[in-house]
Amino acid sequence: MSGPFRLDGGAIDRARSLAFRFDGRRLTGHPGDTLASALLANGTRLVGRSFKYHRPRGVFASGSEEPNALVELRSGAWREPNTRATVAELFDGLEARSQNYLGSLRCDLMAVNDLLAPFLAAGFYYKTFMWPKSFWERVYEPAIREAAGLGRLSGEADPDSYDKGFLHCDLLVVGAGPAGLAAALAAGRSGARVILADEDFVMGGRLNAETHEVDGRPGAAWAAEAVREMASMKRVRPMLRTTVFGAYDHGIYGALERRTDHLAAAGGKPRQILWRIYTRRAILCAGATERPIAFAGNDRPGIMLAGAMRAYANRFAVGAGRRVGLFVNNDDGWRTAADLAAKGVSVAAVIDVRDRAPQFEVPGARIAMGGRVTATRGRHGLKGVTLATGERIALDCLAVSGGWSPNVHLTCHHGGKPVWRERIAAFVPGGDLPLGMAVAGAAGGSLTTAAALAEGHRSAVEALGELGIPHSAGDPPGASDEAGDIAPFWHVRESKGRAWLDLQNDVTVKDVQQSHREGFRSVEHLKRYTTLGMATDQGRTANVLGLAMMAELTGRGIAETGTTVFRPPYAPVPIGAFAGRSRGSDFRPTRLTPSHDWAERRGAVFVETGMWLRAQWFPLPGETSWRQSVDREVSQTRSSVGICDVTTLGKIDIQGRDAQEFVNRIYANGFARLAVGKVRYGLMLREDGFAYDDGTTARLGENHFVMTTTTANAVLVFRNMEFARQCLWPGLDVHLISATEQWAQFAVAGPNSRRLLEKIVDPEHDISDAAFPFMACGEIGVCGGTPARLFRISFSGELAYEIAVPARYGEALMEALMAAGEEFDAVAYGTEALGVMRIEKGHAAGNELNGHSTARMLGLGRMVSKTKDCIGNVLSERPEMNRENGLEMMGFKPVDPGRELAAGAHFLARGEAAEAANDQGWMTSVAYSPMLRSSIGLGFIRNGKARIGETVRAWDAVRGTDCPVEIVSPHFYDPDGERLRG
Amino acid sequence: MAETALTSRSPLDGYERTIGTVAIAEIADLALVSAAVPQSGDAAFAAALADGLGAERPATGASTVGDRHAARILGMQPDQVFILFEPPDPDRAADTVKAALGPAAYVTDQSDSWAMLRIAGAGLRAALERICPLDLDDEAYPAGRVARTAMEHLAVIVLRDGADSFLLMSPRSSARSFLHAVELSVKNLSE
Repeated sequence: MSGPFRLDGGAIDRARSLAFRFDGRRLTGHPGDTLASALLANGTRLVGRSFKYHRPRGVFASGSEEPNALVELRSGAWREPNTRATVAELFDGLEARSQNYLGSLRCDLMAVNDLLAPFLAAGFYYKTFMWPKSFWERVYEPAIREAAGLGRLSGEADPDSYDKGFLHCDLLVVGAGPAGLAAALAAGRSGARVILADEDFVMGGRLNAETHEVDGRPGAAWAAEAVREMASMKRVRPMLRTTVFGAYDHGIYGALERRTDHLAAAGGKPRQILWRIYTRRAILCAGATERPIAFAGNDRPGIMLAGAMRAYANRFAVGAGRRVGLFVNNDDGWRTAADLAAKGVSVAAVIDVRDRAPQFEVPGARIAMGGRVTATRGRHGLKGVTLATGERIALDCLAVSGGWSPNVHLTCHHGGKPVWRERIAAFVPGGDLPLGMAVAGAAGGSLTTAAALAEGHRSAVEALGELGIPHSAGDPPGASDEAGDIAPFWHVRESKGRAWLDLQNDVTVKDVQQSHREGFRSVEHLKRYTTLGMATDQGRTANVLGLAMMAELTGRGIAETGTTVFRPPYAPVPIGAFAGRSRGSDFRPTRLTPSHDWAERRGAVFVETGMWLRAQWFPLPGETSWRQSVDREVSQTRSSVGICDVTTLGKIDIQGRDAQEFVNRIYANGFARLAVGKVRYGLMLREDGFAYDDGTTARLGENHFVMTTTTANAVLVFRNMEFARQCLWPGLDVHLISATEQWAQFAVAGPNSRRLLEKIVDPEHDISDAAFPFMACGEIGVCGGTPARLFRISFSGELAYEIAVPARYGEALMEALMAAGEEFDAVAYGTEALGVMRIEKGHAAGNELNGHSTARMLGLGRMVSKTKDCIGNVLSERPEMNRENGLEMMGFKPVDPGRELAAGAHFLARGEAAEAANDQGWMTSVAYSPMLRSSIGLGFIRNGKARIGETVRAWDAVRGTDCPVEIVSPHFYDPDGERLRG
Repeated sequence: MAETALTSRSPLDGYERTIGTVAIAEIADLALVSAAVPQSGDAAFAAALADGLGAERPATGASTVGDRHAARILGMQPDQVFILFEPPDPDRAADTVKAALGPAAYVTDQSDSWAMLRIAGAGLRAALERICPLDLDDEAYPAGRVARTAMEHLAVIVLRDGADSFLLMSPRSSARSFLHAVELSVKNLSE
């Protein structure tokens, strides 16, 4: 027998013992135990300290509603705070610690808070810690957080892994108590795809905790048999340790499956899985949660929910005490007396607030009908209670039942409001359930086993009917209805001293009264002011009590007072589970260019551009700064030839009889007369007339175009074009398909680029200047017949080409280009050199195409053709976008060539104050130009073209610089473009 | 004139591995070519598919098998199919389809756009549950069914090409991330 409080029977495996530690003490339990049941079996009643007052606390419930027994499990980086001992499955070697104390659990120095309680009522912080103002963040808040709080995080990265997944079913049954089992059986027998999820590690729900009978057998045995039957059904998926925590749109439910929390180690497998469950129908069979009654000193260890005490006795074979009392307002609570007596536990008293004849005689017990508990005693555990009559009864355990609250939470996730049902003194689901959801059993307010079984069965049959699945469910299982009379009773008015409503947040009756005095009339305000119903248990045992108190104070009645809004998640879900695998380098996928491995071998430094990794520069031995590498790449490209992987640019294959017309409408400039074998630069506007992307489009055939987009906008441009094709101009015969991934594309730039290419382009293709002039394109062969596309276009301003081969040949082509270029001292260049050269040439890129730039601002105003229609044409004519003295993209050079420019600096006239009214524009891109041996920049400035030669200040508040700059043409290098025609 | 021809490299370098009961292998010898149907060209397209590849035109989401080049026609969207086949010349896959379909389709080679993984064996669906939002149940997703979806933020085309076999295609540039996602799912499920 593991522990002095162990009883006979129960669903634990006595053949095996599990050793565990609590606060360093070595204890034992059995498979089938929770940490809570094992602690109780060992006589450990004090398990933690309360949130605010550091009051000694013990196990209060037997399920996920537990407000008190929060512990830290495991150690090191695996340490997990605020775990409810009532749902922590015991395993061999489990290490648990109590939390929220200073010193020791029995002698908590912070318990001084309890003496200060009169000063710590709701709203106290807000009113007290107000002066001086700056102290709140630096002094008061840290001190309060230190004093009040729960467990400690490890402070280390979570070493466990998590996963996500997707499930699909005809019917999701949430909860495997009598209603859930009956529903799943009925649907399963009819051949439907069923998921039956339960947060417990054994199916059966309250059937395992009670002594009810189903079909003439003990309920737990019937449940086990039902589970066995379902195990043989291929289309039924029972999911243990799985909490369905949220109802989302379109019949989608969120669920958390705890896969390895009950094991000593996860063994490299995901600890928990976050499931997204797609359902056609769902039946909520989430049961009900018992609630307490408020009376002075009702928080001592040893005071427990009556149903929990039955669960410990019947399922876990644990007597929570040796001299037990009951304090109830309903028939159901009396079952605890019967069940405990049957297990040989001494029941010393039954105190029922109802003034009527006892439900049955309990031998040896003091029966106090119409009784009230007004006080309790016992510092670290209950020793006795005092009744309103002054009578004192010695007890070590008090079972309390104030009735049962249906677990309506999931019915409210789409905004449904629960309604008050007087007969059971509880909120039940309102009429507006999430689409496709039905409720059965206690969750719907039907609190007897017979009703749960019948409703579960009926709901499943109805759901199958709606889905058109013929049912062969047979008859529902039978049981008798238990007595369930209740007299609403919330608070012992005669009791003096603090009476707790919310144990987890230390909210007392007085706090609710205080909140009322402060003028808070809405339950939502009550919640925020007092913290009633917050934190890990979300007030599952506390909410109704709080509402009832509030209703009493306002005189409005509970139905009218209503509840706070229930939102997902129903139970705590670790952030790690929401993250799933998306951690560290797996946060998002990585896209690699065809020459990635080659670049890596060359020691390239990579930069993330969206999901792409691009070579930023290629350092050589001896180069000590990135600028050296980049300067070399630029100089060598401009003096001879450089090669850059530009595969990341979006490529869109456009075909159709109307392809030309389509392209002409997409671009702002004219494409109507682009000849086959030619490329043209194109500028795209948004519908609102602002520029949003640019690139080149090549005409490969009469009805065949290939467009390139910027890397960043590749997907957006494709999507917008599909929209235009399908929705704006469905009459055009045009088809689009992405070819970004299909082709590996390289820029080959510099005065020796043609000579290099001539070495690899197959001889039948003449690429001389005459045969293949600037802006020519064609389908060619390279390296002995590999199909390729060649475009004579230039971003660098040099004589340049872009050459594309099927992606599988990309790496080989890079090697072939570098080998062929060896005699020219060819250099591989990265995105930095690419950027330097485009700034030297004054080409706009992402920094300039920021969504606020017009074609006119970019110096491309005349490109917007007025002889045709195109997307954005009309709205680009708005007067404000065409102001004479508007912003214009210009070049900028520091007056002192030794100074460095900074992007983001704002332009101010000399002598003017740095304030918004004097702002003349801003610097968009800067680079060090090895050709000009100076820092250079592009930027927007008012009326720029007319101001060439003028000096303004580039003022940068972020970096604290103020640099005189000269306004120059944005075309710093080879302004007449002679080189690219070379 | 270059001295050597270019060597090709598949997105996953011929990856092949069995983890538990599930086999994952890169498929690199099949060509994939898109064929879009010109406006008002449905009849001509169906006729060309029948004549050129000996195949019926599949509905969107379905696939058919042709009797030439071991072709499988995948219905991708209302006006587009993908043709998966054994190419006589991998460098000229689009030409093969153009020759077969003539002017009845706009043809674009997609062979290098997609990395292809075949995942086969008992337990593969449990593994795919961790990344695939599609319902791959026998009834919902019988052999021959094809659909586009997203797994771990990556576009994926899912073709069920057998009772316990799926062909997954995902963009080439992120193929290694995709393989990692598939591999990890299988590992997470293996004993």
